Parts: sequence; structure tokens; C-alpha cells
Amino acid sequence: MFRDVPALELRALTKRYDDGTVALEDFDLEIPDGAFFGLLGPNGAGKTTLISAVCNLLRVTAGEIAVFGEPHDSMEARASIGLAEQDINLDRFLTVRETLVYHGGYFGMEDLERRADEMIDIFGLGSKRDTRAPKLSGGQRRRLLLARALMHRPRLVILDEPTAGVDFELRTELWRYIRRLHSEGTTILLTTHYLEEAEQLCEEIALIRGGRLIARDSAEGLREHFSAERLQDVYVKAMAS
Amino acid sequence: MTGLVWLCRRETLRVSKLWTQTVLAPVISSILFILVFGLSLGGRIREVGSVDYEVFIVPGLITMGMVQAAYANNASSIFQARFDRYVNDVLSAPMRPWQMTLGYTVGGIFRALAIGASLLVLSALLVDVPLERPFALLAAVTFGLVLFGALGVVVGIYAESWDHTTFIANIVILPLAFVGGVFYSIDVLPSPWEELSHFNPVFYLVNAVRFGFLGEDDVSIWLSLGVTLALAVPVYAWSQWLFTTGRRLKP
Repeated sequence: MFRDVPALELRALTKRYDDGTVALEDFDLEIPDGAFFGLLGPNGAGKTTLISAVCNLLRVTAGEIAVFGEPHDSMEARASIGLAEQDINLDRFLTVRETLVYHGGYFGMEDLERRADEMIDIFGLGSKRDTRAPKLSGGQRRRLLLARALMHRPRLVILDEPTAGVDFELRTELWRYIRRLHSEGTTILLTTHYLEEAEQLCEEIALIRGGRLIARDSAEGLREHFSAERLQDVYVKAMAS
Repeated sequence: MTGLVWLCRRETLRVSKLWTQTVLAPVISSILFILVFGLSLGGRIREVGSVDYEVFIVPGLITMGMVQAAYANNASSIFQARFDRYVNDVLSAPMRPWQMTLGYTVGGIFRALAIGASLLVLSALLVDVPLERPFALLAAVTFGLVLFGALGVVVGIYAESWDHTTFIANIVILPLAFVGGVFYSIDVLPSPWEELSHFNPVFYLVNAVRFGFLGEDDVSIWLSLGVTLALAVPVYAWSQWLFTTGRRLKP
């Protein structure tokens, strides 16, 4: 089911922050087009740094990043990524609908009005369409953040802990929609601290710690490799090794 | 180009939504200056050159209101976007760095023009302000707004708190505007204040705008436009460099 050109390809990616902290070092990773890929690791492992590097939100120290075969900073690569960041970062001056429409505009969409209404319906934000982001509840903000990430129909969707602090209902709805997107061919890169979530959703999981890739396989392959019954046990063993 | 258009729309929408703060408040304070200094005290002050004092101060007050707005708008807009991190929505979008720079500069220019136009209309109701050299005025306003709009972008990117953005406005721009010949011709200043005024960049901009309106200047219009442009180009280039390299915008 995977196509030839990888959705994401990292080669010797290194990020050293100005204070000397090395968040990623010689990091290689390839995610096939069409995959549902999980990235697991403790806080400070480098997950968000990796995502930020892919999305042109940090200055890479060394290495190469390609998105669907294009350099990550090219216009084509940028247009093909949808990012829902871990922290809610919505424009405080825009209403729900404006948030989606303006995002679509930044990404060069043409049918943005219709698409914005579609996303509002999908994420159940109809009653809040003219409400500004700061007036929304936490759950509504999270919905809007996800709707914004998906607004421009990205081929690679990056979800950085999208269900942190989210109630069961939204989590279920979200995964139902993301599964549908994935079945239609969208590549998903997910980071989460909910291991059961990763096990249920992801075809492949990479474990990272201290900016390095420790292991990568299907949940079943990881359990076998680490002689563990549950993914939680795999995680504990991998992080302790 | 679509991204640039929408970023410009976003920046101008912000000004429109906050119009009481972004346009009305500075217009009222500038009109008060015209009323207090021009109409109340104007009768006690002789003409400046061949121009009535209440007319003489209008171009300078319009300039002061516009440059403060161009700076403050962009500094606060980009600082807020960095602070709340929704600037990431733009930084990750398929837009070129020059489009981001221009898009973030436009908001301040739009706000400044809204203030300038409002002040011109309102002051025309109070005093008779001529428009002698429209092309000189156009050039002066363009260069001045690019200079202070880009300065706002630069400061908004470097600022680590709201205090930093207001510090530049209150400690640098406002005093320079006050001593830049808004309320007087530098010809009346004793030495060395007259000579020192020539090191004030706002003086040249005020002089150029005043020439555009009144056709009278303290120094050559070409020198005034040249100095303003010579400052606008590197400051705009600085803001462009920040977006191109991602310095201060991206860790």
C-alpha cells in the first residue's frame, strides 16, 4: 500500500540549540507515504524538535529533510504538511471561521470558504463559528487546532500529542476522523504519551530518547524484540536500556 | 502570492477590529495637540516663515501620529504572534520570507494611513492646510512608513516582553518626534541645538512631509527624502534578514 517516494525522510538530522543542548544528533528516519507512524519517547526526547524541524519552525544545525521527495523548506513540501502543535496556538484576533479561512489563504487554497464550513461541521464548531479563539473552551480550541491543521488537505498530517487533556468523546471522534483520512491515503505522524493509542492506531512505532532512535517496528515487532507482553513494557525497557 | 494577500488581509483586519485603540485614540490625541497648541496658543505665536502656526504644526503632528502608529502596530502584532506562537501558522506556510516581511509590514502602514487620512480630514475642518507638493508628500510618507513599519517588525521580533516594544516607542520615537521640529522650525533654535537637530532622523521626515503640504522646508527636500530612504532601506533589509534566516523567530 506504500508508494515509492517516502512521505518524510530525515538524513543525519542534528539540532543543537543556542545554549548547547543537543536535541537531535545524526537522526535518520524514513516514513513511507501512506503510513500511520507513531513517535514515542519521554519529554525532552526530541519529538517536538523533530516535528518543528520538518515544519520549518526551527533552524536545523545539520542534515537533510525531504517531504515527498522535496526539500522541506520548498513551497511544495510546506503545502503538503498539516501540523497540530502540542500547545494551542490560535490567533487571538480571529474567529473560528476566520482562523480556518486565513489559514487556507496562507496555504494558497482557492475553495477556502467552502472548506472552512466543511471543517466547522466536521469538528462540531458550528455554534462557535463567529467566536474568537480566547472565548472557546479548552476542548473547542483543540478541535479548532486540529481543524486548522487539516484545513488545506495536507498529504502529511503531523499531530503532536493531539489528545493531551482531551475528553474521551473528542478523542474518539478525532481518531475516527484521522483513521478515515489515513484510509484515504494521508500519511499520519503522531506523537503521544498514550501508549495504548499508539498501539491501536500506528502501523509502525519509533522509540526515541535523548535525540536518538532506539527502535522502530510494528507494535508486535517491538514486543517481540524486547520480549515484552505489552507496549508499556517495551517502552519501559527501551527507555531504561 | 495568495499567502501574502491573506497575511496582509489578516494584519489589516486586526487594525480594523481594534479600531478604537489603533485609529481613534491616536487621532483624538493628535487633534487635541492641534486644538491646544495650534488654536489656543497659536494666536500668541508669530507666523513660522510665511505660515500661520496652527497650520505649521499640522504636517508634523500627522507625521508623528503616523510613524508612532506604523511602529507600534507592527511591534505589537508580531510580538503577540510570537508570544502566543500563532506566528508558526505563517512560518510553516508556503510563503517566501519576503512575503512574510512585507505582510507583517503592511498592517502598520495601513494603520498609519488610516490615522493620517483621518487627521487630514479633521484638521482641514479646523485650519486651512494646503497641499503644495503631493509627489514629495507621497515619497516622504512612503519612505517614512516603510522605515518605522519595518522598525516595528524588527523590535517585535527581538522583544522579549511588552516593555521592550513600548520602551522604543516612549524613549526613542516620541522624544525624537518632539525635538524633530514638529512644533517649531529648527531655524529658531540656538546653537548647538540647531546643529544637533540634523542628527535626528525624524527631523528629516517631518521636514519632507511639511514640504509636501506647505511647500516650505528647513533643509533641502532631496536631503530629507535621501536621509529617510537611506534609513528605510537597511531597516527593512534587517527585518527581511530576520525572516530569511529565522533568527529570533525560530529556535
